[in-house]
Amino acid sequence: LPRLLLPAAAPSGCFCNSHRALVRRPVAAATAAAYSSSSTAAADAPAGPPVSVTVIDKSGKEHQVSGQSGENLLRLLQRYELPVEGACEASLACCTCHVYVDAPDSADLSSVTEAEEDMLDMAPFLRENSRLSCQIVLAAGLDGMRVTLPQATRNFYVDGHVPKPH
Amino acid sequence: ATTPLDPRVLDAMLPYCTGLFGNPHSRSHAYGWETETAVEKARAQVAQLIGADPKEIVFTSGATESNNIAIKGVARFYKSRKRHLITSQTEHKCVLDSCRALESEGFEVTYLPVKPSGLLDLASLESAIRPDTALVSVMTVNNEIGVRQPVEKIGALCRSRGVFFHTDAAQAVGKMPIDVNAACIDLMSISGHKLYGPKGVGAIYVRRRPRVRLEPLQSGGGQERGMRSGTVPSFLAVGLGAACQLAGQEMAFDAERVDRLSQRLIDRIVSQLSHVVVNGDRDSCYPGCVNLSFACVEGESLLMALKDVALSSGSACTSASLEPSYVLRAIGADEDLAHSSIRFGIGRFTTEAEVDYTVDLCVRQVRRLRELSPLWEMVQEGVDLKSIQWTQH
Repeated sequence: LPRLLLPAAAPSGCFCNSHRALVRRPVAAATAAAYSSSSTAAADAPAGPPVSVTVIDKSGKEHQVSGQSGENLLRLLQRYELPVEGACEASLACCTCHVYVDAPDSADLSSVTEAEEDMLDMAPFLRENSRLSCQIVLAAGLDGMRVTLPQATRNFYVDGHVPKPH
Repeated sequence: ATTPLDPRVLDAMLPYCTGLFGNPHSRSHAYGWETETAVEKARAQVAQLIGADPKEIVFTSGATESNNIAIKGVARFYKSRKRHLITSQTEHKCVLDSCRALESEGFEVTYLPVKPSGLLDLASLESAIRPDTALVSVMTVNNEIGVRQPVEKIGALCRSRGVFFHTDAAQAVGKMPIDVNAACIDLMSISGHKLYGPKGVGAIYVRRRPRVRLEPLQSGGGQERGMRSGTVPSFLAVGLGAACQLAGQEMAFDAERVDRLSQRLIDRIVSQLSHVVVNGDRDSCYPGCVNLSFACVEGESLLMALKDVALSSGSACTSASLEPSYVLRAIGADEDLAHSSIRFGIGRFTTEAEVDYTVDLCVRQVRRLRELSPLWEMVQEGVDLKSIQWTQH
């Protein structure tokens, strides 16, 4: 009998994604909280106050997502299956998780490091309020933050294909 | 207009035209690695000449492209907040044309006038800066009259007002010491063929701390930090790097020699001819670019008479136009004097014999043309040319 082999839980949350693929359960906002405990991303800190974020995708549609203080923004967006790539898996080696933040000068937003600026340089459609979402850690003061996804990343496919998170 | 390749630059370039032909962006094999190493070495050589970090140097096809990238790129990136640019009336055509293109995109540009010496008036710059000014662009050395602008003071002023400062340093780099940090320069254009390097290559310096962002003009694979896509021409980049390294080495010797030859040229001409105007400030200038106006001599005839020598009236990029130089107009030169102005260029390979030959030829021809000139006759008789009422027949 073929045994259903589940891949070992890996720290970057890919267990969560492949688990989802096997179980075929769509992620809804209500169940996202259940996922956050199973996602063992090193950047996720357990049980911080909830932080809600509004994400505007490239068609202009708004999505409400809710994460926890201490959680990595990229991982939050990916949990909600929003079309954000993270080619280097949040290791600050690419620019595919590029987003625009509405309040770039907010004190609660971690300031940009030179390494992040270097990676941002290579992102297409760069703007003054561009950030790499994998470098943004949610904090209580960021509750209500609005984040916009750019038209395309450096990996852009003209047929609209967006690579799935690793 | 240009300079010959220094033979040592050619030596550095040749291997990269033949055996070492790899694409420097090929990541997976030795052809790419060896060329990438050479391009990065060239980048460091360019950076060292201007006191920059190698990561701040982007290779382009020349100073024209660099100027376009700097002006259009910065303006378009910050366009949501900043809609104003400032430049001078004596800039190179590509700077003025880029500004004009931006004006048709809805930007406002202030073209600052210059003093009769050709130098910018800092007070006028200060009063022109607005809260929505994105960029100030002032060239370091003017290509027609050789005037050197006070870039250190301009940079300090712009830094204090939070405005980016771009300078077209094509005629200055390699000929005089430039430090982008001491002068608070945020963007700088460099041209290969002005410092005994190859034509078809240049660079733009883009400051990283604090970061200057720009919208790239050229879309593509994201080479050169995303600012200038396209395969970097490795043999040209190597040439530019070698030229910069040599320029740093030879700068003091060249500067003294060029200054001496320039002085010789001017002194000998002025001592043998009267009614000669030296255009542009001679204290704050690059001595290798001398612009002289000969009164009562028709400019094109003089140029034709001096065919043996590579001279120009106005710069190469405007020499085909029939109007007198806008640079001379900006410094307040009379239109008739502007028509009879000649630019003499002295460089690393100019010999004393060549200077003497040029002086003799120039003096002889000016005298000959003045003999033929009715205006000259009137000036000799003491008639004030401005008082003449010319009639139409």
